[in-house]
Parts: sequence; C-alpha cells; structure tokens
Amino acid sequence: MAILRSFGWKSLNQERIVLAIAIGLFVMAALALPGFLTTGNLVAILRSVSVLGILALGMAVVVIGRGIDLSMVAVMAMSVAWYLQMLGNGVADGTAFALVLAAVIGVGLVNGFLVAYAEVPAIFVTLASGSFVFGFVRSQLISQDAVPVPRGHWVETLGRLRLASVPPEVFLFAGLAFLAFLFLRFSRWGRFVYYAGDNPQAARNIGIPVRPMLMLRYVISALAALVAGLLTAASLQTINTRMVNSTLLYDIVLVAVIGGIGLSGGKGGVRNVLYGAALIGILLNAMTIIDIPLLYQNLIKSTILLAAIIFDGVINPRDEQTAQQGDI
Amino acid sequence: MQPILKLEAISKAYRGVPAVSGVDFTLMPGEIHALLGENGAGKSTLTKIMAGVVQASSGRMFHHGVETSFATPNAALAAGIAMVFQETSLVPSMTVAQNLYLGSESFLNRLRGITISAQQFLQSLNFGVDPTAMVETLGAAKRQMVEIARAVHHNAEVIIFDEPTATLTPEEKRHFFALLRRLKARGVSIIFISHALEEALAISDRITILRDGELVITGETSSFSRESIIAAMVGRSLSASIYKARDDAALRKPGRKVLSVQDISMGAMVRNTSFSVFEGQITGVFGLIGSGRTETFKIVAGIAKRDFLRGGTITLDDRPVRYVTPYPAVRDGIIYVTEDRKSEGIFETMSVGENLFGGLLASGKAKARVVRLADIKALAADWTARLNIRVLNADARVVELSGGNQQKVVIGKGLVQAPRVVIFDEPTRGVDVAAIAEIHQIINGLADAGLAVVVISSYLPEVLNLSDRILVCRQGRIVEELSPTEATEEKIMYAAVH
Repeated sequence: MAILRSFGWKSLNQERIVLAIAIGLFVMAALALPGFLTTGNLVAILRSVSVLGILALGMAVVVIGRGIDLSMVAVMAMSVAWYLQMLGNGVADGTAFALVLAAVIGVGLVNGFLVAYAEVPAIFVTLASGSFVFGFVRSQLISQDAVPVPRGHWVETLGRLRLASVPPEVFLFAGLAFLAFLFLRFSRWGRFVYYAGDNPQAARNIGIPVRPMLMLRYVISALAALVAGLLTAASLQTINTRMVNSTLLYDIVLVAVIGGIGLSGGKGGVRNVLYGAALIGILLNAMTIIDIPLLYQNLIKSTILLAAIIFDGVINPRDEQTAQQGDI
Repeated sequence: MQPILKLEAISKAYRGVPAVSGVDFTLMPGEIHALLGENGAGKSTLTKIMAGVVQASSGRMFHHGVETSFATPNAALAAGIAMVFQETSLVPSMTVAQNLYLGSESFLNRLRGITISAQQFLQSLNFGVDPTAMVETLGAAKRQMVEIARAVHHNAEVIIFDEPTATLTPEEKRHFFALLRRLKARGVSIIFISHALEEALAISDRITILRDGELVITGETSSFSRESIIAAMVGRSLSASIYKARDDAALRKPGRKVLSVQDISMGAMVRNTSFSVFEGQITGVFGLIGSGRTETFKIVAGIAKRDFLRGGTITLDDRPVRYVTPYPAVRDGIIYVTEDRKSEGIFETMSVGENLFGGLLASGKAKARVVRLADIKALAADWTARLNIRVLNADARVVELSGGNQQKVVIGKGLVQAPRVVIFDEPTRGVDVAAIAEIHQIINGLADAGLAVVVISSYLPEVLNLSDRILVCRQGRIVEELSPTEATEEKIMYAAVH
C-alpha cells in the first residue's frame, strides 16, 4: 500500500473509481450497443435514475450524519397512495395534501426522535417505522394495492409534461441536487451534518445541537421520499404499494454508498450521489439493452458495490478507533 | 529461593513516549507484592508486559529462571500468569460455570457437566457463588470472585490485580483480602496495583513504587510508612526543568467571581460538591481517577446532567443556570476541553481548518451567514500560527497529526468560540514534553488575558506549577482548597487519598 501511496494513488478514492467505471461503461456501451447513444435512450437513462437519485439525496443526508433511513420506500409509496385514495374519495385536494405532508413530516420526526432521544439504532427504528407505515396505510387507509391518479389532477398533468422531450423528474432531480449541494456545502446546518457524522460526541461538546439536527435529517429524507413518490405516480399514472417489497430500498443505499458516501458518517456529498446514480443508470440501461435477466442484474449490482467498498477500504484504511465505534 | 518472575531493565514506549523505562522487578513465590504509583507512573504497563498484553520494547524477562517473552495473554496464561483487569473480562450473558470454562471447553460441552465441576471447584475455593447464575446478575465483588476463580482454575501461579478494590464496598473488600491470603497460602504469587495506600500496607509482603515510568524503590512492607510511600510516589527529578517552584508574588489575584457552584450532585459520582471559579486566574483541580473531578466539570459545561432533585445550584454571574446540553453553555461562554480527544474531541477525518471552523460555527459567532472555503482557510492560518500547530499541509487530516498538535487543535476549537470560562481536563495527557511547555504557555496566556481558567490534572507538578489556587477532589467532592505557595505534592496527595 505504501508503494501505491507514494505514487500519488491516494487520490484514487472510491468516488473517482466509480466515476471512471461509469465513464468506461458509457464508452463501451456507446461503441458496442446499437441504440444506446440515441437521444431517446439517454433521456431514458436520466429518467430512470432521477427518482432513484432524489431518494438517494435524502438517504445521503441521513447517512452523512451517521444514520440510515430504511423507511423511505414505505413513506414514498404509502404517502402518495393515501393521498390519491383521499382524492378518489372526494376529499378536497388542499386538505388531502396538507394531511399527507403532515403525516410524512410526522414519520420523519418520530424516526428522528427515536434515534436521537430514545437512542435506538437507526437501522431498527426505520425498519420498524417503515413496516408500520406500510401496514397501517395498507390496512386502514387504502383499499387496493394500486391506487390510480384521478383524471385531470395535477399529478396526471405533471406526468404528461415535457420540456424539450425531457420529463419533469429530471429537472426536479437536478434542482434538488443543487439545493442539497447548497445546503450541505454552504449552510451552517448543512456543515453540522458532517460534524455530527464524524464524531457525534465531539459535535455535542462544542455546542452543536446534535439531537434536533438528527430529527431534521430524517424529516428531509421523508420529504425526499414524498417527492419521489409523487413523481413515480405522475409517470405511471398510478402508485403500486407493492414496491415496498421490491429491491428499490437497496438500490437507494447502493447509489449513495457506491458513490463514496461512507456508512461511518462524515464523508461524501451530492457529487457522490450523482456519480453513483450515473453508474447505476448506465449499468441498468446497458444490461436491459443486452437483455440480461433481472436476477443476474441484481447479482452484478451487488458485486460492483462490494468491489467498490472493498477497494475503498484498502486504499483509505480506516482508523482503528473509528472501526471500533462501528457503522450506522 | 528462585523468583517466579524476574524482570531486568524492562522498557516500553508507546509511539516514542516512554511509559516504562529500565525497570527491574522480581516476584517471589507465595508473596503479595503491591505496585504503587501515581496515575501514569507505568504500573499498568509493567503488569501488562508480564501478562503478555503488550510487549516490552527492550529488557529481559525470566520465568522460573528461563528467559521468556509472552506474545499473547494466552501464552502468559499457559505459563501460569493471569491478569484480572479493572473492567472485568467476563461474558455477562453466560453463567458463572460457562465463564469459568470459557476457552477450555471440551469438544462436546455438557452444560450440566461443567456446572457440577464448577460447583465443586468454587466450593474448594470457599467462594459463595452460584455456578448457574448469569454473570450480569452478579455484583462487582462476586464478578471479581469469578475472575479470580478462573485465574486459579487455569492453575495460575501468578495473579495480577489491576485496582481490584476500586469498585468494592468495605464489606466486600474484607472478603477480598481474606481471599488474597488464602491464595497466598496455596502458594500463589499476587501482584496488586492500588491507589489505596492503607490496603497496600495492610495486605502486602513487599512494595514496589514507580514514578514517571521508573523504579523508585522496592522493599519489605514493614520498612514503609504512609508518609514514606507518598514521598516516594511524588518525589521528582526529571520534570524539574518544566516545573519550577513559585512564590506568592507570582500568583494571580482572583478577579470577579464568575461561577459559583453550590452543593451539586450526580448519582454516586458527584456528591454535594461546592466551589467557585474566578476571572483572571487558573484554578487547578487535583484528584485521582474516579474522584469525580471530570464529572463535576462536565456538569458545569452542560455535558453531563446533575441530579434533577437536590442536584444543587450553579450560578453564572449571579444568574442561576441549568444546562441540559452543552449548547447553551457554549453560548454563555463556558467551554470544556476534553481529556479524551480521540473519542470526544477531534473530528478525525477533517482538516485542522474544518475542526476549528466547527467550533466557530457552533458558537454562532461566525460573521458570515454562508460557509466559505476562504474563511476556513483564513481561520486555520490564523490559529495554527497563534497556537503553533504544526501541520505538513493545510488539508492534512487531524488524525495524522501528533498528539500534541491534536491537543492544540482541540484547544483551538474551543478558543475560537471566544469563551469566558475554559475548563481543561488533563490538557497534557499523551503529549510530548515540548508540546507540554507550549500548552502551558497557552493556558497561562488565557488567564493573563482575564479569562477564568480551570485545569483538571492528575499530574501533581502540573497542578502546582500552573494553578493560582488548588482544589482537591476526593470521592465526588472538593475536599480541600490550597494555595500553591503552601501546598506541596505530599500535602495534595494526602488530601486526595483517604
């Protein structure tokens, strides 16, 4: 390792490796696959990663603060399903939206409260709250697995909208990524996320309100999930709550982690999400064009994630003490 | 008679900082040997070398006259040397019997079988411990019995105890000492690290005293008195260049009373302690480990919470305050510079600038509303010059710095918050000698600038040299106030041990 470092290889971190792989994949796919380098397909790639990217932005904010939010997919699907169900039942749009927004913020606050004040590990809190949200909404608030978008509603219009043949979720992802960048990079509270993620005890000692901020982060991830849910409903004209049991949640973690946001906290930013989203988007698209079965796609994704994490661990060995404190 | 263990010129350095240097030590069969010294005198390191937990940097060790060195604690255990640690190394969720046989189970392990043999074994030692009880349900003394039983069960002929009586009640202590005598009667040799001098005088056959990693004296217990032990523990030579005596004129006069603490309590750690802190002078606080000094000042800084009922009062500038988090304390200008910089002081993946800027950002005293890279750089340049923090390049992560420079970063992180009361907890722990002088200079500079400064230290020369007044903490309360001119190391130590 010392030899690698002496050649300046230290700058070769996971983030750059992932970018290099993504570019390499893109070039290979462009050369080898017919129909890859068409405008239509490139837009399709962007579109496919936009919703995932928005979710990953929310996840990134939580993970940088040394947490994890496994309730995101449940919040995303169930909040929108409940919203559409209420619309279908004739509840006024404003009232319905206000109720859903309050519920989403409420889930974020409860997650944050349990992690920050009850000091339950985030992985258990959000796993449980995700199951609860799914179970409660499915059994009490909606009548079917899939809830359609009512005709003429703004969500339907949103799904039909095109700007230079690019669907709105791409612009929304770009806008939210920029907002997240401004928040994490330039705002006081955004910087606090890094301090709390690096060393929560030291952050508390210097007077950072660690616990209220932790709650804020889970509210942000829940709101990101709501936006992603609305966009999904817009593009499909329906929301299928069965997605809670899909691998979407792991794809979110994959995008965040593969781009180089360390699960030990304090590391990474919006750029890492973009790189991760680019790699996953190109990879999935290429595999679909080649027609690799879904089972193998998952296998390939997980292999790449593992390789990236191992390589990062070898090139940037972690301090012994950090290792003892543990991840998540 | 041939000694069981004989150490010749044993030295051990951690990252170049010597912990033990050139110590000779012998342990005779069937003796109780007390190992005494201040915090950081090298007692634990010396015994850890014997038990194979760490390896000596140089020197030779003879076991029954044969030169050996133990690479692992297991190797030492196989040779009959067992160490009973301060924090017990039992598995709480297993029964006493399972713990006894841990690591020596046969391939097919019958629970009933080991319970029965554990029962017989514990009875042979005359220990009243139920072998089927879960270890987590046992009190400190019983746990210690299990630890000892395990050591004896491994046929240990040498058992090393690191501060065995610190967690015991007086009743449990009597049982423990009776046990030591029984072990001795069985021919087991015992090394016994303690802070409690009376215990050492009462139970041991011989006493060895270490200071600053060096051997001061070894001798028969009958040749020592309490006073001669204290004198040997604190008498100092090597540090004379940094630590000079001071006269009355050199002491700073107290300014306005900033902080007044009345009767605060927190569980069993802090008990009804009261004191005041004044502007423009350094208040030194001495206490042994476990005396509650850190906890007391963590309450003041809002890091720990005092008891809700009958927790006492803290008054800052005639205004009663009750901090639940450090956040309002920092806003009021009270900062705490931790003794444990690794786990609660530095942000190790960040640069010096980011660490310092974190303090500024958290204090709410940053001028700009937007975080700019240029501001971080300017702050880093300003404070690395002021505190003489040596970094190879500006982007270097703090974890790559030396201990002294890390400590300066932790101090700087607090000072950028423009505090009025600064609490230093062991400001020079794990810091090289050159950096100690610089850190002392920083601390003196703060008091000269009119700040109220508190320095908690378990290093007597540091307390004597820095302080304008000295508070001594014992068993959760401030028991004595001394002036550095009248105080001697012996007097302070006398007040700090019971």
